[in-house]
Amino acid sequence: MNALAGFGDVREHRAATRRRAPAVRRVSADVEPQRAGALHVLTCGSVDDGKSTLIGRLLFDAGAVHADQTLALEKSARTGAGTLDFSLLVDGLVAEREQGITIDVAWRYFDTSARRLVIIDGPGHEQYTRNMATGASHADVAILLVDARDGVKVQTRRHAAILDLMGVDRVVLAVNKMDLADWSQARFQAVERDFLALANRFGFREAIAIPVSAALGDNVARRSASMPWHAGPLLLDHLNSVPARQTRAGGDLRFPVQTVIRAGHDFRGLAGTVTSGKIERGGEVIDAVSGQRARIKRIATMGRDLESASAGQAVVLQLDTDIDVSRGAVLAAPGAAPAAVRSFEARLVWLSDQPFRPDRGYLLRTATDLVPVSSLEIAAHLDLDELTERPATTCVANDIAVARVNLGRSAVVERYAQQRDTGSFVLVDAVTGASVAGGVVAQTHAPESQQPSEAFRLTRSLLKQGVGADLGHDAASERELRRRADEVAILLRGAGVAVEIEDRQEAAGMDAATVWLGILAALSFGYAAAIVFGIV
Amino acid sequence: MSAPLTHLDLLEAESVHIFREAAAQFRRPVLLYSIGKDSTVLLHLARKAFYPAVPPFPLLHVDTTWKFRDMIAFRDRTVRQLGLDLIVHINAEGAASGVNPIDYPPSVYTDVMKTRALRQALDAHEFDAAFGGARRDEEASRAKERIFSFRSEGHRWDPRRQRPEMWRHLNGRLGPGETVRVFPLSNWTEKDVWIYIARERLDVVPLYFAAERPTIERNGRLLVLDDDRMPLRQDEAVRPRQVRFRTLGCWPLTAAIESSAADLDGVIDETLSARVSERQGRLIDHDEAGAMERKKQDGYF
Repeated sequence: MNALAGFGDVREHRAATRRRAPAVRRVSADVEPQRAGALHVLTCGSVDDGKSTLIGRLLFDAGAVHADQTLALEKSARTGAGTLDFSLLVDGLVAEREQGITIDVAWRYFDTSARRLVIIDGPGHEQYTRNMATGASHADVAILLVDARDGVKVQTRRHAAILDLMGVDRVVLAVNKMDLADWSQARFQAVERDFLALANRFGFREAIAIPVSAALGDNVARRSASMPWHAGPLLLDHLNSVPARQTRAGGDLRFPVQTVIRAGHDFRGLAGTVTSGKIERGGEVIDAVSGQRARIKRIATMGRDLESASAGQAVVLQLDTDIDVSRGAVLAAPGAAPAAVRSFEARLVWLSDQPFRPDRGYLLRTATDLVPVSSLEIAAHLDLDELTERPATTCVANDIAVARVNLGRSAVVERYAQQRDTGSFVLVDAVTGASVAGGVVAQTHAPESQQPSEAFRLTRSLLKQGVGADLGHDAASERELRRRADEVAILLRGAGVAVEIEDRQEAAGMDAATVWLGILAALSFGYAAAIVFGIV
Repeated sequence: MSAPLTHLDLLEAESVHIFREAAAQFRRPVLLYSIGKDSTVLLHLARKAFYPAVPPFPLLHVDTTWKFRDMIAFRDRTVRQLGLDLIVHINAEGAASGVNPIDYPPSVYTDVMKTRALRQALDAHEFDAAFGGARRDEEASRAKERIFSFRSEGHRWDPRRQRPEMWRHLNGRLGPGETVRVFPLSNWTEKDVWIYIARERLDVVPLYFAAERPTIERNGRLLVLDDDRMPLRQDEAVRPRQVRFRTLGCWPLTAAIESSAADLDGVIDETLSARVSERQGRLIDHDEAGAMERKKQDGYF
């Protein structure tokens, strides 16, 4: 089997070369073009469940193992059962064995007959929560691995809870080591029953169980002769058929601005990736924070301009009026824009070995913005064993906390359930720069419902007289002023003073749509709470 | 009306996104240009990321003085055609003291002429971020590499200091003394690189295509003689062979493969059915177990 037989771009290229030079050889043109996007697969389970063996087996059976690696494999020690030790294909860092990397996610890439598979593997033992959450933030689907003899364990439940939190809504239970469970259908069905009961407690879109033997290859890429009773899909076939998130269409337009590109005297473009929905030439967009509007004059990419761009595409937008929008802004359609918020509820996974400290300065890294945090209030921890919440005020590595985040200035964040990219964030230590936590937004608060804060207010006039005294009144000066204000807020926060920065368009920027969205957000609070507590 | 995005479209967009994130977050980035196929793709993506402007950073080539002549010619032609700003850095000390890949063990040579040379150049220009063309699929120790890979003072790669990367959010806030290597091609494979080169009709160094070249066989590997600086051993005879390269580096350390793939299509065919992993041709990686990882900890790419 040609490993890349169905690769869409190969055919594209073939077509292009044929036009240019008719005499070139052709490969794999007899296969249907497949446009299935790369599928990102998270593997969850412990070494004991045979996870490395399963990954190695997938690579091997898909023909993704090179001859020199196979040779090394054959020269290496066999497993107890006398089979090749496929787990050796998934070796990693020397340092991992010697000293241990903090957060540890390994990426493997290979091609099946239908698509690219990206295996995201977070080898984790006691540190699995943060590894798994990190991997899950990239995953379309997760393989939960259990030993057929053990069945669904407390660990499986924890894994499912983390997947649910991170929005991975397609789950495969690989019931492994069926060879050691006498290929028993009754045993598989018992495990499957437990798993489906568990899955029902979460909001998964799809949950299926497959009986496999990774060591022997049964039901991985080859139908098992030992388990003729299994009528469901093979693991590899199933992975070939799951739709990738990146190619799912729909959603409201979101365009987080990464940077401003200037060329010549008259070109000023906003560079970014469409994270949701679709943008069209001539369409109107609004900057959620300032409320400024403009129309799209040009969607530029090198080579050609586009009429439209959809989720996943990186483009440069030229607007018809030169509104003051720069990095950190999120462009949206006027009727469906997110609200700028100063406070929200989050679920966050603590990643750092340094515990949370209320007096420490933190920054919020959103899609493209970096916002000073005025205070972070930990309210509870999610207990993954009991699937409940219990009150807490501290936070250490691998804790999943329910927290309220108060921002030093307005920024665009929205519910993760609605928007992945603008609904998630990384919490950054202001001094070391380390990523201390990753989180998802559970609920935003309408600006008018936010309690009057005790924070020190950095007004614009104060800033202009102080750190901004040397600045002028143009757009670049304005950006520099905002940047310095952020840094002042961070410094003061580090000295124990919570700070709020006055927004420039604070009053003017609040248009009807923003207010209305705020009310909607408040109404949906009950719904969000139900989801959050629904795992109880 | 628009065709669905292909796998390569999405990879391209991701790389463009990474370039822009880095350019927006770092004060003084540089693109490490090593002339090979990955650098060719890297440079192309950098141009796409900032179009219609030119990339807002220079190129840096760490020249060991042992690159194939074809590579240097290609480098100079590329820079001239695209109007780019190129910095070439040679470790003058190393060159003066005669460190070369023939008389010195690969580990010493690499350390002096590549690793230290790179550090010198980064320090001299005060670059805080350097784009590189490394891919996670190249080698086992790279499978866990980050897109923003942090280096502490002295350019050391400390596994404990690496930041988890979630979603598309790349955190480039530097801690004291830190610099960053940025890898926009992290999620590309060798196949992706070649198919993209074909799709975008990019020019690559001719050494990637099979041609008759003067070769010797040494330690079971084929070396192409690029000049007369390498003395032959007694039993060695120069023989013309039809060969090409899968990766390019310093010519005495880069093994060729026998091949008839004389054009892009041939190379793609061969890559699609490759049965040997890509870096087998790099002699330095075979020096000792965990070689690549040790080099990385010392600041090599």
